[in-house]
Amino acid sequence: MNAPTPVPIPTDLAIHPGPALLSGIESGTSLAAHRAQYGALPEVSLAALLASVDALRMRGRGGAAFPFAIKLRTVSEGRRPVVVVNMSEGEPASAKDSALAMTRPHLVLDGAVATARALRASAVHVVLPGDRAGVVAAMEEAIAERSDGVRIHVHHADPVFVAGQARAVLELMAGRPNLPVTAWVPEAVSGHKGRPTLLSNGETWAQVGRLVLVGEGGYRRFGTDTEPGTTLMTFTGDGVPEVREVEFGTRIREVLPEGFAGRPALVGGFHGAWAPWHTLANARVSVDGMKSLSIPLGAGVVVSPRECPVTFTSRVVDYLAGQSARRCGPCFNGLPALAESMRSVASGRGGTGRVEELAGVVVRRGACAHPDGTVRLVRSLLATFPGEVDAHASGAGCGPALEEAS
Amino acid sequence: MKTQLRVDWPSCKGRGLCHHVLPELIDLDEWGYPIVKGPVTKELREDAKEAVRVCPQLALRLT
Repeated sequence: MNAPTPVPIPTDLAIHPGPALLSGIESGTSLAAHRAQYGALPEVSLAALLASVDALRMRGRGGAAFPFAIKLRTVSEGRRPVVVVNMSEGEPASAKDSALAMTRPHLVLDGAVATARALRASAVHVVLPGDRAGVVAAMEEAIAERSDGVRIHVHHADPVFVAGQARAVLELMAGRPNLPVTAWVPEAVSGHKGRPTLLSNGETWAQVGRLVLVGEGGYRRFGTDTEPGTTLMTFTGDGVPEVREVEFGTRIREVLPEGFAGRPALVGGFHGAWAPWHTLANARVSVDGMKSLSIPLGAGVVVSPRECPVTFTSRVVDYLAGQSARRCGPCFNGLPALAESMRSVASGRGGTGRVEELAGVVVRRGACAHPDGTVRLVRSLLATFPGEVDAHASGAGCGPALEEAS
Repeated sequence: MKTQLRVDWPSCKGRGLCHHVLPELIDLDEWGYPIVKGPVTKELREDAKEAVRVCPQLALRLT
């Protein structure tokens, strides 16, 4: 029996209006309202688009922060490419692509369509989540309103954590099981039907859409010189999860919901890293800055659990072990063993030696990053809260993490 | 660039033949799946090709 997700997939969301992507959401999701705000979708040349995303240092918003310009340039160098909008959002604690689907679906589609035209791409594929019915309905309604002269194909992902992984998405598009396979070459070189494939998540396409609609100058109105623009973040604490659009360079403490203050948080989601309160409080929203603090921004997820980090991590690893595609031996054997060793630590039945051993055995030995991400979370717990981990392992229960002063 | 042995993990069934052919470079984990210890040296190149050839799942590649 698979462990349930420690953070439920949200059925209710608080989506706050924002400066750029989430501006104008009060006007509704119709194409007419979208065009009233932004005007017609302009034609943009590949050269101009490349120059802009390069100058803006735009990065993918799926978690890896890969430079979008490199992907775009790579897919433009081969056969006619394919554009993929990956809205599957397999991470339960992330809801930003859901928020875009339910408030600005045409911004997402504008980004994909404008890029597809610039690339003379053969089609746009939109991959929808298997476990977020509201997102599916919103995107299908928006797609039905479009007449761009670009073919849009819709696919429905399986409701599992790894279904949104790039290769798993390509498998789904090829009619095979929606599970990761080994990538011998990047999908930007050879992806769907062997074509160069530009696959990005919903927020990345919305950022591209905004850029095409308001121009490079308009895009630079927010953020910093080195990281122009905004990013979407999902905050999950006690109440309804909140999605906020935040300018790069903003102090995280300024945008945290009530109830997050003074507590440790999990940053970057279930494959992310733990931040003690003093680290979180002083961090600014930045890909490079947060990486240097060992709390990568990832897909912008911040979770503030009620339980202590040790117990919560153990529950997350239980869940992640159950989400293995069960194809790669080190993952489907190693993650349950890692989960068991974490339970032992959390309940005072064992030390961290076995946890560290299994982390070393599992990492980088799978077709996708699922084992690597799980190991990142576990290692972050051991490195960030050694006192709490030891207290648990010795049966003394929770340490001081929860009462940490600001 | 150094020659590497790469495992196609979803194909690998942990039969362990690669380890028997090339113990210098391939250990097995506690479940019998290969642990590649490092790049393929010139001296071990022929053995590495043999390890690729004997895999019943065609799950090992030289890249």
